[in-house]
Amino acid sequence: MRGRTSRVAEEADVDLTPMLDVVFILLIFFIVTSTFVKEMALGIEPPPPPPPPDQITNPTPSIIIEIDEQGLIRVNSRVTDITSVRANIERLKAENPQSAVIIQAHPEAKSEVIISIRDQTASAGVSKVNVVLSDV
Amino acid sequence: MARRKRNPKGGGNTGEGDVNLTPMLDVVFILLIFFIVTAQFIKEPGVEIIRTDVDNDRRVTPLAILIAIDENSDVYANKTLVEPNEIGFTIKALREDNPKGEIVVQADNNSRAEILVRVMKTIFEIDGINASSVNVSTKQD
Repeated sequence: MRGRTSRVAEEADVDLTPMLDVVFILLIFFIVTSTFVKEMALGIEPPPPPPPPDQITNPTPSIIIEIDEQGLIRVNSRVTDITSVRANIERLKAENPQSAVIIQAHPEAKSEVIISIRDQTASAGVSKVNVVLSDV
Repeated sequence: MARRKRNPKGGGNTGEGDVNLTPMLDVVFILLIFFIVTAQFIKEPGVEIIRTDVDNDRRVTPLAILIAIDENSDVYANKTLVEPNEIGFTIKALREDNPKGEIVVQADNNSRAEILVRVMKTIFEIDGINASSVNVSTKQD
């Protein structure tokens, strides 16, 4: 910057104060409004759209996990404890590696059961599990 | 701001009124850019829910929309109660503010499966092209 002896060389000396004010206001606004929301989530597939009527016969048998009103779990109509759903799925998957898994929940069942069963199917190595509601 | 009084030789012997603002400006700009970049304007549902602890969850990022189902199976979004048949409209309205990013359903452990499945279906109908599944919020480690 060139030095100033009189008021002639004015152009090099820009007043930064208004810009600083604006920058500070912006900074404070973004600090105040910033929310660091962190969400952990598990992907759950909703019921698939109904297939066309001519394709309704499924060649591979699916593993059906039923959850009833009281939270009783049946894996292929065998009553199972919530902690041993994974073992059951792994066993059925070993018999029939192609089979899909369907979680059939009663409308009054609790979300917790669905989420933890979906988690156990993911642990068992099944990537796609559809959750459907059972007819009442 | 005080006018700078400089020596014609550039010495600057009147030091006490002449603070160099450049490093502070640098820091302030870096902070400003950091907060602008990380700013996410998420409308929180505003209800407290109890989540399930699972093994196969992942961090959802970028986050866009939060829909909560509380223990009474009431659906909340943006701190307001949403009627069951208006969930789709609410999600579409929130999507306009946040076109990118993922939707997360915060389902309480004791909420009913019927509501969860209905909300998931609605989200899937709106976002189905982008996602194969619907994110359901789980407990953080």
